[in-house]
Amino acid sequence: MEYRHVQTIWGKGALRGIAVDGHGQLYAAGDSEINAIGPNRRWPTSRPAHSVAVAGDGTVYAGEIGQIEIFDGAGKLLHTWRDAKLLGRVTAIGFTRDSVLAGDAADRAIRRFDAAGKFLNNIGKDNSTNGLLIPNGVVDFAVDAHGIVHAANPGKHRVERYTPGGELLGHIGRFDGVDPAGFTGCCNPTNVAVREVLYTTEKAGPRVKAYDFSGKLLAVIATDLFDANCKNMSIAVDSRGRVYVVDTVKAAILVFEPVKS
Amino acid sequence: MNEELTRRTVLAVLAGGAVFLVKKANGQIVWQVDAARCINSRLGEVGVEACNLCTTECVVALSAVRAVNEYSKCGRCNICPAYFNITSAVNELGQPSEKLCPRDAIARKPIGKVDPEDPANNFYEYIIDEEKCDGCGKCVMKCKEPLGLGSITLRIRYDKCVNCNRCSISRACPQNALLQLPIGQVIRPAEVQRPGA
Repeated sequence: MEYRHVQTIWGKGALRGIAVDGHGQLYAAGDSEINAIGPNRRWPTSRPAHSVAVAGDGTVYAGEIGQIEIFDGAGKLLHTWRDAKLLGRVTAIGFTRDSVLAGDAADRAIRRFDAAGKFLNNIGKDNSTNGLLIPNGVVDFAVDAHGIVHAANPGKHRVERYTPGGELLGHIGRFDGVDPAGFTGCCNPTNVAVREVLYTTEKAGPRVKAYDFSGKLLAVIATDLFDANCKNMSIAVDSRGRVYVVDTVKAAILVFEPVKS
Repeated sequence: MNEELTRRTVLAVLAGGAVFLVKKANGQIVWQVDAARCINSRLGEVGVEACNLCTTECVVALSAVRAVNEYSKCGRCNICPAYFNITSAVNELGQPSEKLCPRDAIARKPIGKVDPEDPANNFYEYIIDEEKCDGCGKCVMKCKEPLGLGSITLRIRYDKCVNCNRCSISRACPQNALLQLPIGQVIRPAEVQRPGA
């Protein structure tokens, strides 16, 4: 499995999160705005945006400090879910069939809400470290087609699998400072995405990889294309398998696509 | 008029110098490491070797410079790159088999609710033994962002520093990172503002 770098989308300012909707439309969150890249639709958020996600019906969720703002596809504000305790700093958002998940980096947990914003349960909180180990300050996760939540636990050098109800099913990943199949440094991977395979990004040095669900390394997608000081590189993947990764220092999105053999 | 101003300027400089020397003599002005200049802690410097001039140039037998871990910034990680040599072989516990510090000056202990079955499931405290540390800077280089959190910096210990007029480390430091400043004016690494930070 090989990938090639096909495009760099340049931005400016603080680029913190990206997402791709079902039609392949790329969204970016940063500064205090959401940017639908391509059509160049952009609209402001009331607080700095730390994450973005697009639901199946096209509504756009922006994760912020203390709240989630929900917009229609044109950027009109539909709802604001405010909760200083449960939404301390929302660095990731995802969806299961009937719920909305929010990664709260302030409390090192994933929150599960129903579609109306009613809190249901925590994910990744019920353990001896009282949450995910995120020295880098970002909770990130992705939900696969079966509704399984794949959460980065960088302090453990793992990606953990949870049910939406919060039950830990297992994990992949291990520390290794040399073997690329492992995760190096103090705390990696920092960010994840999922389709048919699991994608991860790491810091110091920046690296993008693909794994199967058993933890077998499938590909090192990129290493040396990013600024060495990058960290918390948001990652997204579209239905064609194109992988989008944020260079947080250059404020750019690098696009990779699988090489057909 | 110009002559008067020049005379005043000279007198002011002399007075300032005299105040500085009195403060220095009283131990109120001390040498300090500017963490924003020191290449071991300066953000943005990655992939370079740690500088150990603080160890080799100090006139005190065991340098007056020490690595100090600021606990409020420490991530208490299982795999600390300042404690472990993270490129050494992985042992049966899933950890690097070698330590980084050449003087074994850093101690590691699990804290909080300890899971004895899974080392990755714990927080760890990293304590620097100042009787062993000689300020070589290796741990500082590995602790800084993005690899670590930058909780470890080099500091000059006033009780060990003999406060030379011309500090030999400052003369050797290529970054001009040693400064004479009032005691208590601790210099912290600059917070680098980056996109996405």
